[in-house]
Amino acid sequence: MSADYLHLCSVILKQCFGNVVESVANCLFSATTRTLSQIVSTTKLPRKEVCVALAVLIRFRLVSFEPSQTNPFLPEYSLRREDIIFLLRHPRYIYLMQNKYGNVGASITEELIHSGSHTHVNKVLLNCLADEDVGTANAETHRNTFLQMISDHYIIKMPELIEGDDQDESVPRFQSDECEYFRHPNIDLHLLSMISKGEASLSDSKESNMMWTLNYDRFHQDFRDAIMVDSIKRKLGDSAAECFSFILTLIYNTTDPWQRKTSNQITFMEIKQTIERKSNNLDLIKYLDQYISLLTDDSLGFLRKVGDMGNGQYLVDMERAFESLAFACIESVITERFGSKAARIFRVIRFKKFIEQEDLQKEAMIPAKEAKSLAYNLFQEQFIHVKVIKKPGGGSNGPAKAFYLYQVKQKDTVRMLLDISFKALYNAIERSSYEKFEHKGLIDKSQRLDAIVETMRERGESDEFIAEIMETFTPPECEILKKVKNRIQALSKAELTLDNSIFLLQMYQHHCTTLPTSIQKFK
Amino acid sequence: MAAAADIAQLVLAVIKGIPTGATNDDLTKALTDIPAATRVEGLNILLQQGGIEILKKGEKLIYRAKDPEKVSALPKDADNEEKVVYGIVEEGGNKGIWIRDIRMKSNLNMTQLNKILKNLETKKLIKAVKSVNASKKKVYMLYNLEPDRTVTGGAWYQDQDFEVEFVDVLNQQCLRFLQMKRENAEKKREGPLVLREMSCCTVNEVHKFISDLGVSKVNLDEDDLETILKTVVYDGNAERVMKSDGSYVYRAVNSPLPPTGLIQMPCGICPVIKNCSDCGDVTAINCQYMKDWLD
Repeated sequence: MSADYLHLCSVILKQCFGNVVESVANCLFSATTRTLSQIVSTTKLPRKEVCVALAVLIRFRLVSFEPSQTNPFLPEYSLRREDIIFLLRHPRYIYLMQNKYGNVGASITEELIHSGSHTHVNKVLLNCLADEDVGTANAETHRNTFLQMISDHYIIKMPELIEGDDQDESVPRFQSDECEYFRHPNIDLHLLSMISKGEASLSDSKESNMMWTLNYDRFHQDFRDAIMVDSIKRKLGDSAAECFSFILTLIYNTTDPWQRKTSNQITFMEIKQTIERKSNNLDLIKYLDQYISLLTDDSLGFLRKVGDMGNGQYLVDMERAFESLAFACIESVITERFGSKAARIFRVIRFKKFIEQEDLQKEAMIPAKEAKSLAYNLFQEQFIHVKVIKKPGGGSNGPAKAFYLYQVKQKDTVRMLLDISFKALYNAIERSSYEKFEHKGLIDKSQRLDAIVETMRERGESDEFIAEIMETFTPPECEILKKVKNRIQALSKAELTLDNSIFLLQMYQHHCTTLPTSIQKFK
Repeated sequence: MAAAADIAQLVLAVIKGIPTGATNDDLTKALTDIPAATRVEGLNILLQQGGIEILKKGEKLIYRAKDPEKVSALPKDADNEEKVVYGIVEEGGNKGIWIRDIRMKSNLNMTQLNKILKNLETKKLIKAVKSVNASKKKVYMLYNLEPDRTVTGGAWYQDQDFEVEFVDVLNQQCLRFLQMKRENAEKKREGPLVLREMSCCTVNEVHKFISDLGVSKVNLDEDDLETILKTVVYDGNAERVMKSDGSYVYRAVNSPLPPTGLIQMPCGICPVIKNCSDCGDVTAINCQYMKDWLD
């Protein structure tokens, strides 16, 4: 966790939940665990406000609590730091569901996001339906989509809170049962319609303690697969990409999707059967064996052959895959920042593992001076590293001879890039809130004006009168407003694309290192 | 005098018979009927003509016949110092020899050596070549020799200057050739493996293409083009694939990722991102790069 990430988190939380939550989270960020009284004394906020802030954070699964080791009656709170950035990915989650399940899926997702984790299924459906016309058919599609999303693991059941009786003052615990995660709830449509008409209340429904929430890991799995399939599409064409996406779905039958290094094995026969059954791509079916060997031979190294059972056993090599992709990402940053010659130097060092300056310029075919300056620049910005090998001896006859070899330490570089990405994301958010603040008067005015015009139209006032009102918003003001809107739009687009890079680099960290990452089985 | 020349021929024949070189004992054994004084006279004539050379092995002197092809091109009137220097330069071969090394080996003083070297140069017996590795370092070699690649830097150097444009043009042309090949392969629909095979090029093919193109004034050989092709690989535009017989082929590839999101905003390529924070001169609010980008 870097300071850049801390800044980013605090600005995200401030934007989503306000100042109090932000300062509570900041206080938790710097410690492993803290008790309520510690938080109160550090933040100097009223106890009540801290409690509310904690409740909000717990509700959105950003804070977890456990009884203290020394005192079972004292809860200690800890922040799930890695999860905070998920708040920025919400539009992507909704977009994915929109693509998969249409508008109904999108509105269910949105509802789940807005109400945090403590959401009862009936309430979600009710809220969704309240926005639209309530009809049985509509309610039924909502129910079916909800159940389908559970079956596809996009929605997961929250662990149940075990509350003791009144005398028991020990810290409440969550109880989770792995078999229960994706069990369908009973959704009584009749009761739903009664509730919406006001003839019954929510508490009448059974299983009212069953809470549902989004299963982030599943979403991230889809994002990850999309990255891999897209990169194959770019490099090897559409059919190869389709083939690989079938392989991925097959793999998930037997493998935990977040297994770090490699997947379990599948055989060629399995792949063939699946593709023949499900695919309409004649080209792929005809040349399947060739596409498979294309994938295994490719330098990206996504697929690896490990045996000959069943016409060949294959596994998906996540480690190699994300190593190649992270390199591609680093290289594109270098190309933009230092030019294509620098990217060439970086690749020479990467392929040669260790190389001296002299050999470097010869291999890269770059004049000595330019090569030196580029290499030093890369070194200064921590894209490459230097390994010094000292020859023993020297002693009285001058300094000992040393060799300075360039090398690439991918893990360090990735972490450095991640920090830059966090900083960039922070800057984008800061800048956009600055723009909003600077032109607050103007934005407010235009909103007020829009509201007035809207009501006037409803009242059926004459067009001339409306135009007159509109003219109070002068052309220069209009221009500035347009400019500001463009800026904010550019910044929020940048936020989304930045998150793509961050996600890729985080996947690298998950699959190629042993660092703890945000991917965790639901606990 | 004629007798001495005959004896010289006899002595030479004996010496040639022993490729490792003949000692004085060998000569006395082989030429028992010739007195020592006449033998020495014959040896002297041979030495003067440069037909043999004397080597010292331990305490003994060894006479060895020189390769007739290597018999120096030095004119007969060259003096001893010139011969010595010429010999040293000759030893340097096509890698050349540095003036300081000549001085050390010949034990001549600087002014004298300079004079001799200049003399030899005007006679077009040796030449001075500037080394690319160290621009001020001159090396000497025989006039008729082609300087080694390490000295001139190969085809990429013109008077010690690395020809960046030339390399860049060749790089682009090679890439264009690889891409053309790939496009042609994509037009034929005969399965993915055929496509891959057809988009691969050997160095030979690229060499032919570049030669036919006539972009190069100098003659490039296949090794030169291999280095160029490697730069195409290092640019990330091609892949080097080893075939089953150990030779390498090249083919054009696309990058697996679109430009990453980080570089689509100024922070990703900002040179002062390290200094960027909430306070100080570099902040997100008054950032000039950000301003230029947003407007």
